[in-house]
Formats: sequence, structure tokens, C-alpha cells
Amino acid sequence: MRGRKGWFHSARMFSLILDRAFRASTLAKVRRLNDPEQQPMTRRALLLVGILISSGMLCAADRTVRSAPSGERSPLSPAAALGKKIFFDANLSASGRMACSTCHDPRYAYGPANGLAVQYGGPELKTPDYRAVPSLRYVLNYVPVWTHVQATNPIEQLTEANEVPAGGYTWDGRFNTLHAQAMFPLFSPVEMDNRSAEELAGKLSHASYAGEFRAVFGQEVFAHPAVAVNEATMAVQQFELEDRSFHPYSSKFDAWLDGKATLTREELRGKELFDDPNGGNCASCHLDEVGANGAHPLFTDFQFEALGVPRNNEIPWNRNPKYDDLGLCGPFRKDAASRDVSNCGLFRTPTLRNVAIRHVFFHNGEFHSLREALLFYVERDTKPGKWYPVGADGNAEKFNDVPARYRGNVDTTDAPLDRKPGDKPIWNEQEIDDVIAFLKTLTDGDMEDKESAAQTGPDASSAARPKR
Amino acid sequence: MIRRYWLSAGLFGACAAVLLAVPGPRCAASTPGANPSALPPIRHVFLITLENKNYSDTFGADSEAPYMADTLKAEGALLTEYYGTGHNSLDNYIAMMSGQASTPQTSNDCNVFADFRQTGTAPDGQAVGQGCVYPAGVETLANQLMAAGLTWKGYMEDMGNDPARESATCGHPPLNAPDLTQEAEAPSAAVPGGDMYATRHDPFMYFHAIIDSPVCHQDVVNLRELKADLRSVATTPNFSFITPNLCDDGHDSPCANGQPGALTSVNVFLRQWIPVILSSPAYRKDGLIIINFDEGGNGKIVRSGNEIAVTVYGASCCGEQEGPNLGRKYPVVTIHTSHGHRVTETTLSFGGDRTGALLLSKYIRPGTVSNVPYNHYSLLKSIEEIFGIHEYLGYAGQKGLVPFGPDVFTHSR
Repeated sequence: MRGRKGWFHSARMFSLILDRAFRASTLAKVRRLNDPEQQPMTRRALLLVGILISSGMLCAADRTVRSAPSGERSPLSPAAALGKKIFFDANLSASGRMACSTCHDPRYAYGPANGLAVQYGGPELKTPDYRAVPSLRYVLNYVPVWTHVQATNPIEQLTEANEVPAGGYTWDGRFNTLHAQAMFPLFSPVEMDNRSAEELAGKLSHASYAGEFRAVFGQEVFAHPAVAVNEATMAVQQFELEDRSFHPYSSKFDAWLDGKATLTREELRGKELFDDPNGGNCASCHLDEVGANGAHPLFTDFQFEALGVPRNNEIPWNRNPKYDDLGLCGPFRKDAASRDVSNCGLFRTPTLRNVAIRHVFFHNGEFHSLREALLFYVERDTKPGKWYPVGADGNAEKFNDVPARYRGNVDTTDAPLDRKPGDKPIWNEQEIDDVIAFLKTLTDGDMEDKESAAQTGPDASSAARPKR
Repeated sequence: MIRRYWLSAGLFGACAAVLLAVPGPRCAASTPGANPSALPPIRHVFLITLENKNYSDTFGADSEAPYMADTLKAEGALLTEYYGTGHNSLDNYIAMMSGQASTPQTSNDCNVFADFRQTGTAPDGQAVGQGCVYPAGVETLANQLMAAGLTWKGYMEDMGNDPARESATCGHPPLNAPDLTQEAEAPSAAVPGGDMYATRHDPFMYFHAIIDSPVCHQDVVNLRELKADLRSVATTPNFSFITPNLCDDGHDSPCANGQPGALTSVNVFLRQWIPVILSSPAYRKDGLIIINFDEGGNGKIVRSGNEIAVTVYGASCCGEQEGPNLGRKYPVVTIHTSHGHRVTETTLSFGGDRTGALLLSKYIRPGTVSNVPYNHYSLLKSIEEIFGIHEYLGYAGQKGLVPFGPDVFTHSR
């Protein structure tokens, strides 16, 4: 069993790197995490988050091997065991009814249990969030810090390199550590809505696990609320990194990779369609190759992409025509990356593991079935009138969730997004069935009963979709 | 007067060029009489290859790598007319180690680690075909050294940092699979140091003659092993190929690990490693350090609204030949979209443009400047000659190609 000192030691290198890169400016960054007009986090809470993240007490990294589980369950470290209790504790929210697990439900691969485009939080659980909830399974250990690497040579920048921003936690990559990300929802007014470290530390000190908290982090820990909150988020982080339930590798696809299962002809056809660089081209972002050490793929490259997903008026904030969620360039991210207009409209590529049990797709939860999401990919450009509002002139307003001045950022060059109106979609209905069959092989063994609830059948097709 | 160490040209082998035959020859051509002069008794060569810099940027008055452009230049020999042999990176590395010219795939850095399908052999031992990873019949300098009873190693910074990306020794993607090392990997909880190893900057990985052999795991290792190997002459390979990661070789800026990259990081890397090599017993005994660049970055960019016109010069020297596999008619014009811009790329020729190179050795008088044209094939021929190998690989055997000579090795000891 690894104690706190042990996991600090293992994380030392990572922490040093992150410290060097981010420590100096973290407080200022955290102050900008929210737009005060849209998300009125208290000044005190903002300052608290900043102090905690900038404290340098960063990640407790855990090296995990990306492969099928051996069946043995290694015990959690004391901090991780404590973090598990915090993760499931709804009493830590202002409403008393929202825990981390409320949105990141372990029964749904740490994704949302319902089909809401966004979840509702705050003191009465009536305040809408801004983006769809992603699954926490698989990726947390491997999310790289946010970077926008570029080739030095300006000619190579234009002719050779794939210079796409990558990394960072959440849809816009604004958190460089899981520790920082875990801090955010505890104080977000649209989520757990704590207003100060004192308030949250007070809740922790009265929790059923308060004695365990003191045993792990020191008897005097609650005398220093900021420290207590910091330790709490580090414990949550450690739970997420250590617990095997976040990376079970128990899907049929994993078994197939290990030679312990056979894919059907339909599933294999689906994989071919998924991989075809001139067809679906899905695997160019949702990587599905086995690693050099046999590691099973994560189905994401952590890079950013602008797909031009239609505006979703299910999100209450979107009823304000002046509100735009531009991902990497705001409104929540306000660092240098957000000031690069070429970043506007880009969101980080999610994993596709367990995608078949989801009810909401893409950053704004615009689509509610896997079939609809796939149809959007293949028909976005061939039948734009099906997906975007059509004006009086008969033209569809493509990419209508991105302001016109940024629509050039939307990917129109990579297959299958390079088609023209009237072209034949890259997949027909049968081929979409095949791809869905393949994607279902990515459902973990403990999630298979959730597939039937997810709308993947023809009834969810966008054929009956109301135009906006 | 310069003392003459030069070997007799009569030792050249008898490996003649073979025309259009499969499998390919183990060597290309001998050039008896090409270099009648002898070479100094160098027995340890350290080649450090950096990325994508023009001669004027690297060695000019305002160089961002002053340790190289000023300090080291003053201590060694500057080759002002050293050229890369192609664009982009990979075909240059392959040229240095095998004398093989570009294929459409290697000139595009082999995003898929695809086998080279050989259909024949052309003059100067050029394998005819398409692809990336050459069949076992196509040999490298490493194979020549082993055959001569000499030792070699490739020291690759960051290799194996992320074992899911590549192994810590002989690290390359699975054959015929996408190369995920094309992009640098930033630090994560699982890979705290990140991983900026690029297979395309590790030439040994593109030859079955190496990767299919157990020696690959012994001899292509992480750079961290170099310090231990330098402790004695006996443990220092005769030939060391050193590839910094994508940041330290200047390729990226900014880098995945937050460092500035470009010549600034090159300077830091050289300032760290060159003194280590200089102080090693093997270098002090009979060493030569070569610092070169894979290709130049020279060209022209003209912007007009959403239109960007890029001209890549592709200049070459030394009678360089395009080789049998590109089959291009110049200028080559391609059009693609990048970040919402329409980019028209015009490539004027097949060369790698002028980069310059720097050599350090006790057999070089400090402050030496040579204006003799050289390229990667000249480099390969020079290293072969240094080690007494006179069956030159690929275009290193090109008729009349001049290896490093008395214009470089200007000092007797």
C-alpha cells in the first residue's frame, strides 16, 4: 500500500514540470476561469481555487498499464480510498444533492446517467451547466498538459506539420492537472456551488470520514481550510487515477485484441469503415491501434477539432444570441490560447470507449443517439439543410453555433468532412449499422446492459429531426 | 606541414554497381582513386543531427545558438557549403546512414511505417521501389561497421518515455501502422516527462537489416545511456549517432514540454552534451564530433488574403541525383488547405538546401573554415573512409563524390 509520501515521490517529476510551466501564472489564470457575468463565482471562491492550484501541491501521478485487467484488485492508497468517499459525497454541495458521481455516474462509465444536454446544479439544482458531461473512464491518467506545439520553420508550419492544439482536462483543455480540474466543480455556481474554503472544509470536517481525513492528512488539517480543500481534491484525483473502475479494459474489443473474442463480420466491417482514411477516417482522431507495449487504445488523440456541431437550444444559455461557446477560445478559457482566433470553435476529442451507452453527444449535447451523431458526420456537408437552419434564401446556415467570422476554423478538409452538397454520403444506412456494431464492442463488460437504453435504433435517426 | 595519415586507395573493395537486380546489393560502388589522400587516425565519430535550419540562421551573426555559432565554431571546422539532400526530414537521415535517395514516402516522413516494396536496383545501389522500411538486402553504415568488427550505437533522446508509443530500445511503430511518434507527446500523469522521440529522426529504424536483428535492442538506445558509455574508450562505440528530441533538435517551437525549442533549445542541448563528449577518453584519444542539420528551412512565403504561396527551393550540391523513386517533374506544385488558408506549395528541386555543418576534433585546427561543397552522401563516404570501409553505400559511391579531406582535417597531432 502506498502512502501519501510514496505517491508524492512517484509524481515528483511530473509535478516539477508542471510547477515550472504553470505555477507563476496560475492564480491569474484561475481568476479568469469563469466569466463573472455568466458564472458568478464569488471573488473569495475564485481566490481560494487559485491559491490551492498554485500551491504547487500537484498531481499524485500513478503509472498504470493500459491493458486488460488481471482480475486482481489492488487496494487503494489511503488517500485514494478517502478520495472515493469524497467523490460520492453529495453533502459537499450547496444543494446537498450533488456529488462528483451525480454527473460522473459510475453506473454509466462515469458519464451522465440521463439524456440531458447539460446537467443542472447550484443550490436548488436548477442552474444549467454549459457543456455536456464527458465520461471519466480511461483517459484521466493519459491526458497530456495543454500544448500547441509548432514546427520552428515557418515553411514547415504550412507544408508539413500537424500543428493542432492538444491536451488539458475538460472540453477546452483549460486544466493541466486532474487536481486542478477536480477543484473546479466544487466551487462552480452551476455545479456544487461552495462559496469558500471555510464552507467546504466545514462540510468535510463533519463528514462521516472526517477522522479518516485527519488520519491521512494530519490532525490539524481542518484548522487550515485551504489546505483541507486542497488535500480533498488531491484525494479525489488519486482515487480517479488508482481505482480500476476508471480503466477496466473489459470490452469485447479488448478481449478481441487479446485474442479472447471474435468480432462478427458486421463489427469487422464497421472497424474497416471506422479506420478507412478516405472514408469515415474516425481513427485519425479516435486512435484504435495497439501501443508498442501492447497497450490497448484509448480512442482519442487528445487533440482539438472544430466540427461545426449545430447550436443546441436545449442549453438555456444558448437562448441568448450573444452567448457563444467557442471552446478553446472561450468563454471559460481566457489565457493566451483563447486569444488565438484560429482556436475558436475547437473542442478536445473525447474517447469513444463506452460511447454506445451515452445519450448525449458532442460538447453541447446536441445529439441524443449514436446513429444521429454518425449521420451528422457523413451528411453535414452533403445535406446541410438537414442539420442547420435554412434561411429565406433556401441556404442552410452551416456551422451556426460558431460566429461567422470563425467558421473558417471548422474542418472541411479531412474525410468525411470534405464533401459538397449533393455528394453521396460516405456511409449508407447499412454501413452506419456496421460502424455502430463496431462501436458497441467498445462497451465495457459492466456497461452492456446500458446499451439497450441508449437510442441507437432507426427511430432516433435525424430523418424526423426538427430543423432549427 | 600537415602530416599525412592517408590510406592507400588500393584498399578499395570491388563492389560494383548492379543494375536493376533484386535483391539489392550490399554496397553500391567503389571509387578507386577518388581520394588518394589519407585521413587522420580517428576511431570515434559522434554525429549529432539537428533539424531544419538554414546556414544563415544557424551560423550567422545573430544566431540564437551562440554556443554553436561562436564558441564551437571557433574551436572546430565550419563547413559553409554543407547541404541536406531532400525535404522533409526522414529522407535526409536515410541518406546519411545508407546512401539511399528519397522515396515519395520518406520525403513525406512516412506517416505510416510502411515496408519498402523493392522492385529492382538502380545504379549506385539505389533500391527501386516505394515505401519506408528497406528490405534486409539494403544495408547501412551500421552493418558495414559490424562487418568490419567495429561498434556503433544510436542514442535517441526520449525513446521509450511512453512505452505505449515506442519501446525503450529499437523503438519504432508496428510495421505498416500509423506512426504515432510524428507528434510530440506532452507530459501527463502516466508519462511525467512527456515523449518527444520521433522515429523519423532515427534512421536505423527504417532498415530490416537492423530492426530484425537482436543488435537493434543493444545498439539503438535512449540518450541517457551515452554518459555511461563515454566512461572509457572500451565502452564508447566507434560510431555514435545522437538524435535529440523534437525540442532539443530545434524542430519544435514551442515544445510539448513547455521549453522554447528552436535554436534556443539546440544551444542548451549542445552546451550540456558537447562538453561531456569532449571530456570523454575516447574523444580525447581519437575523436571527431560532427554537428549537422537534416535539411535547410529556406524558402519563400507570400501571403495574399486567404492565399499563401510557399516556394521550397530544394537546392543541392555535389552533383546530387534525385534517385529512381521520386519521378517528379520540377517545379512540383501542390495545393492544400491549412487553418482556413489555401496553400500553394511550389518545390523547385529535390535537394535539401544549404545548412552548414560543424566538426570538432584534435585533428582540426581551431577556426578552420571550408567552403568545399558537401552533403549527406559526402558525410557517409567520409565516415566510411575514416573507418577504412571502401565499399560505399548508395550515393556515397557516386562517381567523383568528395569526402572530407585536408580542407577539414587541418591539424596534425
